[in-house]
Amino acid sequence: MFSQLILNSIIAGAIYTLVALGFNLIYGATKFFNLAHGVLAAVGGYSVFFFGKTLGWNIYFATALGIIFAGLLGYGLDKFVYLPLRRRKASKMILLVASLGALTAIQAIIAILFTSQFRTLSQNTGAQKIYEVFGGVITETQLVILITGIAIMTVLALILKYTMFGKTIKAISDDEEVARIVGINTDKIIGYVFFIGSAIAGLAGILVGFDTGIQPTIGLGLLLKGVIASIVGGIGNVYGGVIGAFLLGFVENFGIWKISGEWKDAIAFALLIIFLIFRPRGIMNK
Amino acid sequence: MEYLIHLAILFAIYAILGISLNLVVGYTGLLSITHAAFYGIGAYATAILLTYFGVNFFISVVLGIIIAVVISFLIGLVLSKFSGDYYALGSFGFNIIIFSIFLNWRGLTNGALGIAGIPKPEIFGVHFFSNTMFLIIAFIFLAVVYLAARFIVRSSFGRVLKAIREDEKTIQVFGYNALYYKLAIFVISAGMAAVSGSLFASYITYVDPSTFNLMESVFILVIIILGGLANLRGSILGALFLVLLPEILRFVGLPFDIAAQMRQVIYGIIIILLMLYRPQGLIGEYKL
Amino acid sequence: MTIIETKKLKKKFDGVKAVNDLSFKIEKGKISGIIGPNGSGKTTLINLLTGIIPIDSGTVIIEGTEKLVKIKPSQVSFYGITRTFQDVRIFEQMTVLDNILVVLTERQVLKALFERHKDYYLKHAEEVLRKVDLWDKKTQLAATLSYGQRKLLEIGRALAMKAEIYFFDEPFAGLFPEMVKIISNIMKELKRSNKSIILIEHNIGLIRQLSDYVFVMDEGEILAEGVPEEVLRKKEVIEAYLGD
Repeated sequence: MFSQLILNSIIAGAIYTLVALGFNLIYGATKFFNLAHGVLAAVGGYSVFFFGKTLGWNIYFATALGIIFAGLLGYGLDKFVYLPLRRRKASKMILLVASLGALTAIQAIIAILFTSQFRTLSQNTGAQKIYEVFGGVITETQLVILITGIAIMTVLALILKYTMFGKTIKAISDDEEVARIVGINTDKIIGYVFFIGSAIAGLAGILVGFDTGIQPTIGLGLLLKGVIASIVGGIGNVYGGVIGAFLLGFVENFGIWKISGEWKDAIAFALLIIFLIFRPRGIMNK
Repeated sequence: MEYLIHLAILFAIYAILGISLNLVVGYTGLLSITHAAFYGIGAYATAILLTYFGVNFFISVVLGIIIAVVISFLIGLVLSKFSGDYYALGSFGFNIIIFSIFLNWRGLTNGALGIAGIPKPEIFGVHFFSNTMFLIIAFIFLAVVYLAARFIVRSSFGRVLKAIREDEKTIQVFGYNALYYKLAIFVISAGMAAVSGSLFASYITYVDPSTFNLMESVFILVIIILGGLANLRGSILGALFLVLLPEILRFVGLPFDIAAQMRQVIYGIIIILLMLYRPQGLIGEYKL
Repeated sequence: MTIIETKKLKKKFDGVKAVNDLSFKIEKGKISGIIGPNGSGKTTLINLLTGIIPIDSGTVIIEGTEKLVKIKPSQVSFYGITRTFQDVRIFEQMTVLDNILVVLTERQVLKALFERHKDYYLKHAEEVLRKVDLWDKKTQLAATLSYGQRKLLEIGRALAMKAEIYFFDEPFAGLFPEMVKIISNIMKELKRSNKSIILIEHNIGLIRQLSDYVFVMDEGEILAEGVPEEVLRKKEVIEAYLGD
């Protein structure tokens, strides 16, 4: 029982990590809360549904398409909505409200195209391969989630730390004004950041689609978890998002051990509010 | 004709919601995205008191206001520690927590099943059974709320709210305790929202949690930004838009289930366009 | 007599001592200038004294009676203190008139809620706005004013407070001579009414002209103080400026 709880926590943490990674990356570069981030996860998932199940294409190909599509949509949002606003020195609140608009519109478009029915991406309706770990049980999909989460987190960390691109992103995060003065094309780099962050979000949505399934509203749910994870762990800090994500996963799953499962969201948000009051910078930030 | 009355009642309900939220967002500059919670508190107060305890509708309105005031006071205390975009996130959190309570505290709210059979208002033997009579009540409430909001806005208090919106730290240096003002308006606005919740409950005769989720808060925000922040008539305009839009969509021939989602798409796109090209909305006096 | 005094006032930002063990005394009814190179801590000092940022340690004594180790911004006006800001913080999306009215009206929440238009507020506002030559712009939004007009509006707002102690943070920066004259005259008039002014300014000429006493700050400390003619000749002072 206990080890299953731990396993569930880790799996949840892995999913939230994927969402938080992109969210934090974008926040770090632009300093605003992109509330449309979550819905890009839904976009990823539904793209795979469309290409993989409706059109029947190869599932790996469909997955790749889903990731790219989510990334492109995020990139487009930046290019046509956020960038023009940033150029006008719009306040953080305006950007937040604009992202709210994007979330609202995209979520509804998905509902129109695919109906609100719950969909799963997995091919076979038969039982999945199951692994026994320390007395708990984990499905093959969940294992993939775990591995993917860790892999992306590692790759991203390496890119940010060791490549020129990563250092440029850090420069922009520290001070966009200065970065621009020293000749960095901040608009272009931020565009890439949106692409990467949104693509990772798309991947998160796809994995959830394989694991439990997707609905149009799943974007909002994942976004909120991503926000909580990011703030708890340390907003703008990529590693912080990871810590926050796993902490959230644990608090949620252990929380509902004693309290009924339906209070999961309330528990998650209580955690957010506690951190907002006592440590708004999160765990990792000074 | 019956249908027009139906629309008018919905309009009144949303106009009250819009006016009350505008006081907080447009005049005081607090990006609060939790209004549906107070809307829901009023609705559930009326639903529970009328169906389980046979309390008079008008008394339930008062009680709903009191509950909303108390809860909003506590929430407002916590939220006042945040500013700008963090405020928005914190308010999200509260909306979700309260929504969770509506959904999960089944003993009180009957959870997802909702509460049905809410009776229509009655006072001194007069039973407001017809929609036309209900419309009168709704519009009286709307008038009261509008006048109260206008009273607030035209007072010295209202001017201070705007200064808090412009530069909270600075206005404090001139002798104002911004926290008290922010709390006061947040609580007043929550009480007003509860009133429209009570109207909703008795009119539709059925409440369930899904009406009071995060998206609803977003919708109310959209209509006040559209109508115009810091302009009470703007909120009325926004409410008009919100009520007429589905009708226009239906007129154009969209099937029912798509119409609801289409509304959402349009709201989302409108918000983006507003932010890009006209942040003050239609007749607003304040740009975000 | 001393109207404001600080004892070992300290403020650190990220390990940098912005205000370092600062003790000084401001005389009542005089114009006290504070000068110093950029980053010397002048604005931080004013921000500490007006509750904008919290004090790390040290005491502030007002009129010999109030001994404070913590200053809340909303208390500041009750101590008879008001100020202007280096980055001109007026209320942009409010009218010029409202910018003044808002500091005249009732402070207490409930009373403010039930307070309507009062003639004497309007009269007082008119008096102030005419002094800064902005009365004919009273219905314009503050955001539409020119830079100089904004500074004047801020000064007007401070005047409206009828305070005892005025902190002006670089009020003359970027202004045309005519406006400099208006503001100088306002300060002189305040002094004639025995009000106390603390003036941060970079323009040494104006400091010489207006101040009765000057403090020179450098790296969070008082480097020198005294009558303008003497202080401005001191070697350390010149070095502090040139060394920057």
